[in-house]
Amino acid sequence: MAIIAVEKLCKRFGDVVAVDGVGFEVGRGEMFGLLGPNGAGKTTTIGILCGLVRPDSGTIRLDGKTDPTRPDVRASLGVVPQSLALYDELTAQANLEFFGRINGLAGRRLWDRVAACLDLAGLSQRRKDRVATFSGGMKRRLNLVCSLLHEPAILLLDEPTVGVDPQSRNLIFDTIEKLRSDGRTILYTTHYMEEAQRLCDRVAILDHGKMLVLDTVANLIAQHGGISHIEVGLDEAPGDPEELASRLGVGDLGLEGKTIRFQTREPAQALATLNQCGVRYKTLKVDTANLEDVFLNLTGRRLRD
Amino acid sequence: MAKLVALALKDLRVLTADKGNVFWVFGFPLLFALLFGAVYAGAGKGPSGMKLAVVDEDQSEFSQLYVTHLESEEALKVSRVDREQALTQVRKGWIAAAVVLRPGFGDGFSGFFDANNPKLQIASDPGQKMQAAYLEGLLAKAQFEVMAKRFRDRQWMRGQMDTWRGEIQRASGPLGTDASVYLRFFDSMDKFLTDVNDQTYQGGLGNGVLNVAKLDVQQEYDGPRTPFQITFPQAILWAILGCVATFAISIVRERTTGTFQRLRIGPISQADILAGKGLACFLTCALVIGLLVAVGKLVFKVPIGSWAMFLLGAVCTCLCFVGLMMLVSTLGKTEQSVGGAGWAILMVLAMFGGAMMPLAFMPSWMRSISHISPIKWGILAMEGGIWRGFTLPEMLLPCGVLLAFGSVFFALGVLMLRRQ
Repeated sequence: MAIIAVEKLCKRFGDVVAVDGVGFEVGRGEMFGLLGPNGAGKTTTIGILCGLVRPDSGTIRLDGKTDPTRPDVRASLGVVPQSLALYDELTAQANLEFFGRINGLAGRRLWDRVAACLDLAGLSQRRKDRVATFSGGMKRRLNLVCSLLHEPAILLLDEPTVGVDPQSRNLIFDTIEKLRSDGRTILYTTHYMEEAQRLCDRVAILDHGKMLVLDTVANLIAQHGGISHIEVGLDEAPGDPEELASRLGVGDLGLEGKTIRFQTREPAQALATLNQCGVRYKTLKVDTANLEDVFLNLTGRRLRD
Repeated sequence: MAKLVALALKDLRVLTADKGNVFWVFGFPLLFALLFGAVYAGAGKGPSGMKLAVVDEDQSEFSQLYVTHLESEEALKVSRVDREQALTQVRKGWIAAAVVLRPGFGDGFSGFFDANNPKLQIASDPGQKMQAAYLEGLLAKAQFEVMAKRFRDRQWMRGQMDTWRGEIQRASGPLGTDASVYLRFFDSMDKFLTDVNDQTYQGGLGNGVLNVAKLDVQQEYDGPRTPFQITFPQAILWAILGCVATFAISIVRERTTGTFQRLRIGPISQADILAGKGLACFLTCALVIGLLVAVGKLVFKVPIGSWAMFLLGAVCTCLCFVGLMMLVSTLGKTEQSVGGAGWAILMVLAMFGGAMMPLAFMPSWMRSISHISPIKWGILAMEGGIWRGFTLPEMLLPCGVLLAFGSVFFALGVLMLRRQ
């Protein structure tokens, strides 16, 4: 049964249609991605899900409850906002204690959860330092764990890696993957296709408020990603290039010295065929399709345009 | 309730983390109270003595005795100068008046009572009649006391009578038949001065000082007993204004940094968030009032007429300004705009409300306008408990106005916040 169910969600700000008939379901324990360029409607959708924005139409169901503007419904949510929402004047520990209390924690459980979250963010050594002294990455990690204090069933992450250095980004990914392995349901918005591809079980691609497609990453690439480009450096030139092309199932096999080039929708299958044919190769370069290609093929634009 | 307290405590921690905030909320009002308290205290005491220049043109033994006597007078600050300097100083307003002892001033009684050619001159501004009259009184008193000293000197008295006897004997015409009466009187007096013993003579003249018995009667006075009773309510209002500005800016900061949004997506209602802010502002105002009152009471001995009425006034004032804080926080979308617009409005309210200058010192048109400033009512409510001696029914007006102001401000603030 879906823990998040969104149906025909619409939201308009004046003349701008921010969300236009978006609908999806997220299963318990699933990691679901909302992928799209800036202005696609991802943050508005998150805003509606956490009760900050009232939709013009459409329905939402969060763990069986329908109205996220009610505080008790939001109690099952953990929301990581896009902007850093921390008190710079306070220490990391004081921030966590405060947000823990706001989420209803107290006493021993509060202290345990604060310690666990500091550990998860890799900030235990800096817990007594003011947030103002932290790097951008440290603030991002703290921003993330502030939403985990009450161990919410549903986690909404709104572009949690914006402006983060690679090291902190990997730490955030590790944290998210750990949460996912713990069975947490995660809705993740991003405009970085690599993140969606790495982390998400299923991805919905949004553009101009509309949901273009929704499927697993593999299926999206297979269906909308287009062909992969393969370049193989052989030990020796093939004796019969036409037969090799026929066995690979490609119409056009390029041959330049000992290097062959071809395009295929199924690169894994093509490489297996090369092995079956006893072709020995020194180098292999596979440019597979990705979600960027999926978006490009669906909209004619790049994600970061 | 635990969430409200958490919100309030968090705000207090954020507030105290910034030394600038701490100064404006706690330090500045205290300095204000001390500075203006000291100023008003000085003003209340009045001048320590009338500045008087004395020109001794006579340079006689008597004139010098007279000047020395004036110098010993507590109500006067005497300087000895020449005539030109004295008149210049009076003209410039550097001194209140000048006294000139003309030649012949020390020539016995004639020096004093010569109506045609007075030997004592007073130079003062004709517009300062009360001051001149006050000075004449002091001069007459000095004259009397110096003369009394002379009377104690029997030799001088006998010499003086010899002089008068000679003048009468040389005189012709009008004195006529009365001359023998005067001469007989002087003879009798001379015999008396010769025969009387010192103890009897001195005792008969008393101590030679114009003795006035003083009865201490405490005037019934319903005004402040110390200037700090005026400046501490003002300082409290300044502290509260500091809280208002600080918390209004903190609300905007919460909105611009996203923490307000983070709170809104937590399991807490928006009403609770605003109530938490209000509670934090209220607690800070109460804390700063407590601190100022403690300093006022312990260090400056500021009397509090009625603690109950004072607390009532303080609570109503805090509630009113919590509402104002909410409204001020919606005056802009950035910390700079709210800080600027907020302080501009608060300064105007402070100016017309009597936080800068006591209402009593203001022109009547400003006092009329002051009714629209909650600061006026805040000061009045607290003064009601400190020195005005308000009863509960009398407290209802300022407290009611404060609560009404506060409710309107709070409602407007919440309305505008929701629109934003």
